[in-house]
Amino acid sequence: MSAHIPVSTFKPYRGEKARLARAYDYLILVLALFLFIGSFHLHFALTVGDWDFWVDWKDRQWWPLVTPLIGITFPAAVQAVLWDKFRLPLGATLCVTALLLGTWVTRVFAYHYWNYFPINMVLPATMLPGALVLDALLMLTNSLTITSIFGGAAFALLFYPSNWPIFGMFHQPVEYANSQLTVADLFGFQYIRTGMPEYLRIIERGTLRTYGQYATPLSAFCSALLCSLMYPLWWHIGKWFASTRYLTKI
Amino acid sequence: MATTSEHVATSTESSKSLPWYLIDLPRYLKGFGLLSVIYIGLRLYQGAFAVSHGLDSTEPAFEQYWMRLFYVELVIITLVASGFWGYLWLSRDRQLDQLEPKEEIRRYFTLTMWISIYTFAVYWAGSYFAEQDNSWHQVAIRDTPFTANHIIEFYFNFPLYVILGGCAWLYARTRLPLYAKGISLPLTLAVFGPFMILVSVGFNEWGHTFWFREEFFAAPIHWGFVIGVWFALGVGGILLQGVTRLIELLDKIEDAE
Repeated sequence: MSAHIPVSTFKPYRGEKARLARAYDYLILVLALFLFIGSFHLHFALTVGDWDFWVDWKDRQWWPLVTPLIGITFPAAVQAVLWDKFRLPLGATLCVTALLLGTWVTRVFAYHYWNYFPINMVLPATMLPGALVLDALLMLTNSLTITSIFGGAAFALLFYPSNWPIFGMFHQPVEYANSQLTVADLFGFQYIRTGMPEYLRIIERGTLRTYGQYATPLSAFCSALLCSLMYPLWWHIGKWFASTRYLTKI
Repeated sequence: MATTSEHVATSTESSKSLPWYLIDLPRYLKGFGLLSVIYIGLRLYQGAFAVSHGLDSTEPAFEQYWMRLFYVELVIITLVASGFWGYLWLSRDRQLDQLEPKEEIRRYFTLTMWISIYTFAVYWAGSYFAEQDNSWHQVAIRDTPFTANHIIEFYFNFPLYVILGGCAWLYARTRLPLYAKGISLPLTLAVFGPFMILVSVGFNEWGHTFWFREEFFAAPIHWGFVIGVWFALGVGGILLQGVTRLIELLDKIEDAE
C-alpha cells in the first residue's frame, strides 16, 4: 500500500487549517535542519573529511576532485523529494548550509577551543555557490538530465574558484629550513598531529605535481564528469528512501 | 501526552494558550532544553578533564574520571530505554478504530516532535561529537576503545539517539492507525539504519586493533557509519506519509463542519 495525494485537495488553506499547516511547516523546518546537519555531516566527514578539516590537505589534486563528488550526494537525494513532491527549489542549498553550520560549530568548539588548533588551520570549505546553481537549474529546467549534466558539472567546477578567496592566502610560498613550502604546509609541520605519517603520504602524490598550474583544472573537470553521474544516482537513492510504502512484516 | 481515544476531550482543553494540535509543544521544547543541557554539560566535562586525566588509560585518574562516567552512562541509558519504551508500549491506544480525526492530527504533530527530538540527538552524535573525535585522535594516542570522546560519543550519544528513534517508531506504531495497520517502511529505515551505526562501533574498534593509525578519518574502516546514516533519508518518506494523511484528515474535518 502506498500514499496518494488527492488532487482535489489542492486549494488554498484558510483560517485554522492554514495556521495548522504553517505550524507543521515550522516543526518540519527544525526537524530537517538538525537531520541534515547530523546526517550529511557524518557522511561527509567520514568520506572526505580530512580534506575539509585541515588547510594543508586542501591540495590541487584530490581536494577539488573528491569534495564536490561527495558533496553532491545528499543535495541530489533531498532535491528528489523537496522538488519532486513539494516544488521547493532549495534541497541542495539546505543540505550545504546545514553542513556548513555543523562544520563551523565543530571547528570552533572541538578543534580550536578543545585542542587549540588555530582556526585558520581548520577552516571549512564552502559549496554554497554550487548548491545555489544546482537548485536554480533544477527549478528553471525541471529536468533531471539537464540538472545532472550542467548542474553536476557546475557544482564541481565552481568549487575551487569559490574557495580560492578563503584559502588562496595559505598557498603563498615560504622558505623554511632550506626548503620551499606553502603557508598551509607550515601549519601542518608546526602543529604535529598523530596522523602525520599517513597524512604526508596521501596528499599530492604521483607525477601530477609536474603538471604545475594544470593540476587543479584537470581535477575539477574530472570531478565535473563524476558529479554528473553521481547526481542522478543519488537522486534515485533519495527517491527510494522516500518511499511511502507500508509493509505487512519486517 | 494523552495516549488513548478517550482522552481527546481533556487533551484539547488542557491548555488555553496553545491550539489543540500543539498541546505537546511545551514537552517538546523541554526535551530540546534537557538534551542541550546534557550535551553541553558533557562537552564542558571533556574540556575540564580530558587533557588532565584522559590521555593515559592506565592511570588511576582515568578510571576515576572517565570509566566511572562510562558506568554511569550505561545505567542512565538502560533506565531511559526501559522507561520510555516501556511507557509507550504499556500506555498504547487499544481503541484506535475509534480515533477522532482531530486527535489523530494532534498525534501526527506529536510524532513529528518525537522525530524532531530524534534528529536533534542525531545532530550531536553525527555532527558535533563525531567530528570532535577526529580532533581528539590528532592530539592523543589511542590506547583504549574507551577514550575521553568515545565514552561520550559511542557509549552515550549513539545509544541515546537509538532510544529516541525507537520512541518515535513505537509512538507511531501504538497511537496512529496507519502505522498500526502496516509497518511504515521509511520510518523503519530512518530508525533502524542509524541504529546500525551503533553496531558499526564493533567493526570500527575491531579494525583499530589492527590499524591504530591516528586518524585518517576517511579510511574505509569508517564507512560502516556512512552507510548507516544514509538511511536517515527515510525521513522524506515519513514526511510524505504524514502530509498525505494530514490532508485527508483536514478534509474530513472540513466536510463534517
